[in-house]
Amino acid sequence: MNNQTNVKLRLSNSELWGGLIGLGLGGFVIWQGLKLKLGTINDPGSGYVLFYTGILMCVFAGAIIVSAITEGGPTLASRWENMRWSKPLLLITCLTAFSFALEPLGFLLSSIPLMLLLLRLIDPVRWTLAVPIAVLVPLGMWWVLKRLLLIQLPSGLFGIG
Amino acid sequence: MDTLVNVAHGFGVALLPINLLYCFIGVFIGTLVGVLPGIGPISAMSLLLPVTLSGTPESGIIMMAGIYYGSMYGGSTTSILVNIPGEAASVVTCIDGHQMAKQGRAGPALGISAFGSFAAGTFALIALMLVAPKLASVAIAFGPAEYFSLMVLGLVVLTFLTQGSMPKALLMACIGVVLGLVGLDSINAQPRLTFGRMELIDGIGLVPVVMGLFGVAEVLLNTEQAIKRDIINTKITHLLPNKEDWKASAGPVGRGTILGFFLGILPGGGAVVASFASYALEKRLSKTPERFGHGAIEGVAGPESANNAAAGGAFIPLMTLGIPPNVVMALLLGAFVIHGLQPGPLLITQNPGLFWGIVASMYIGNVMLLILNLPMIGMWVQLLKLPYNILFPLIILFTILGVYCSSNNVFDVHVMIAFGIIGYFMRKLGYEPAPLVLAFVLGPMMENNLRKSLILSQGDLWTFVQRPISGVCLVFALVLLIAPLLPSLRKKRELVALDEGA
Repeated sequence: MNNQTNVKLRLSNSELWGGLIGLGLGGFVIWQGLKLKLGTINDPGSGYVLFYTGILMCVFAGAIIVSAITEGGPTLASRWENMRWSKPLLLITCLTAFSFALEPLGFLLSSIPLMLLLLRLIDPVRWTLAVPIAVLVPLGMWWVLKRLLLIQLPSGLFGIG
Repeated sequence: MDTLVNVAHGFGVALLPINLLYCFIGVFIGTLVGVLPGIGPISAMSLLLPVTLSGTPESGIIMMAGIYYGSMYGGSTTSILVNIPGEAASVVTCIDGHQMAKQGRAGPALGISAFGSFAAGTFALIALMLVAPKLASVAIAFGPAEYFSLMVLGLVVLTFLTQGSMPKALLMACIGVVLGLVGLDSINAQPRLTFGRMELIDGIGLVPVVMGLFGVAEVLLNTEQAIKRDIINTKITHLLPNKEDWKASAGPVGRGTILGFFLGILPGGGAVVASFASYALEKRLSKTPERFGHGAIEGVAGPESANNAAAGGAFIPLMTLGIPPNVVMALLLGAFVIHGLQPGPLLITQNPGLFWGIVASMYIGNVMLLILNLPMIGMWVQLLKLPYNILFPLIILFTILGVYCSSNNVFDVHVMIAFGIIGYFMRKLGYEPAPLVLAFVLGPMMENNLRKSLILSQGDLWTFVQRPISGVCLVFALVLLIAPLLPSLRKKRELVALDEGA
């Protein structure tokens, strides 16, 4: 690795960030374990396993941090080097919007726009193909699930579906 | 004699029209997801987990098992023709398989892969039939200490074999344990880590976690790079390997089968490790190792047999001990649990129809796969031409529907999307999801057995070391934990490290 990607003691070191997140999670799990009560070794309580798992998490996260400081690691930016990072970002945005729209709009009104966006935004499929796929596939799935498998999909505030 | 009677009983179950249909659906979908890059058996099985609810336990589990071993067959087609592994266990097949295809020998490569897989699959089933009942009778004597230590060993083996640094894999396993403990405490019913959400009282669902980490995260990773497909366009002929091919492949198929079967039984092992190990073994044994990487048929025959034998072997710890040795088996455990069944030492005696029915269906499934993968190869080649920009929105839609149908709850769709995003960043930072998922499944069982052993032994930790099976498992686990600290062993670990999520 060159100097740009293998960095020691820099805030952009992705390994360091991974370790710090692990350490934070470990600390949280220890706290939750203590809150739930450890019990005794003869009769372990609800927090017993959580507490010791949290300690292990801190140990492993510590090992990652030590290795990040002593051996260095790739920068956060280098993880997305030569990658089309905007594509997963678009996909994440679409999925997040969909997850909030699913309950109020219902399955059909939320999945048809989702399909259309995915077909057109990531690696654009021509309109003449994208529109039929985006409409017919969710409609077909809805029909199979509702009519054949008798599974009720969310119909939303408008009661469509 | 008993075994023959049981096998006959099993065929009686497996040959019921409905079970034959489910078996065919399973192997067909398995081949399909094996062929299609970007969707693997884990995603497909989690997608279809809710479907198993609609039929009998036999039908559902026969279908799920079919998807697993079917994907092992299908994965080789993509590796050979496109040089992209359809699923993780076929990564090695790309090396020599695609070279053979480039030299105009795609037919024999596909042929030996199918025949080797068939031979290995059949051997694994016979061995499963003979070994499982014996191991089940031994496993009855297992106590909570043995179960706990076995699960610890399974997790450590998987973290040892996972790509990237061992502390990262161990951290993932710990996070998996914590996530598995969300919900009511199984001993005193105290809610844990639920943050006041009613949806979390029963814990986080396996389906949304797996679909998010493997399905959605995989799509996110695939969209950031333009997938290049180097499909072999020439007509595929001579699927039957010639005399020289058979001669060169007989040894690798035999060795790959035995090696794969035993690696499949090991907790944490599985088809991926088996295929890599078989390739390394064949290269080492070959008089002309320089041919490997340039279209050596042994490099296709060995790994393909090994991954199919391992797929069969992996059923042993699940069926006899109730411990899933890998993520796929963890999903199969989910299918058992959905039907109120607990795989383990008593499964074979209490549900002989189910156990022997599954075994017999795997024989039938192997024959179906041979037909699906050889005479119908043209159909799979056509499917490979389906562009990814059309395929991935469909995968996303199916995962959303799969998750919603598993619980009829929009909350699970949110959980899946959240785990998809987490999984994407985890993979970008070099954290593999496989140890997390296995620990997620094993976590509650591990906790339960640990607490039971401590209560039974009145807090004596030596109970884990003094009981022979438990002691041996913990010693092995300790050796594997220390091993990466030694430079020579660290290098070896890096060589066999696997990418489960591939």
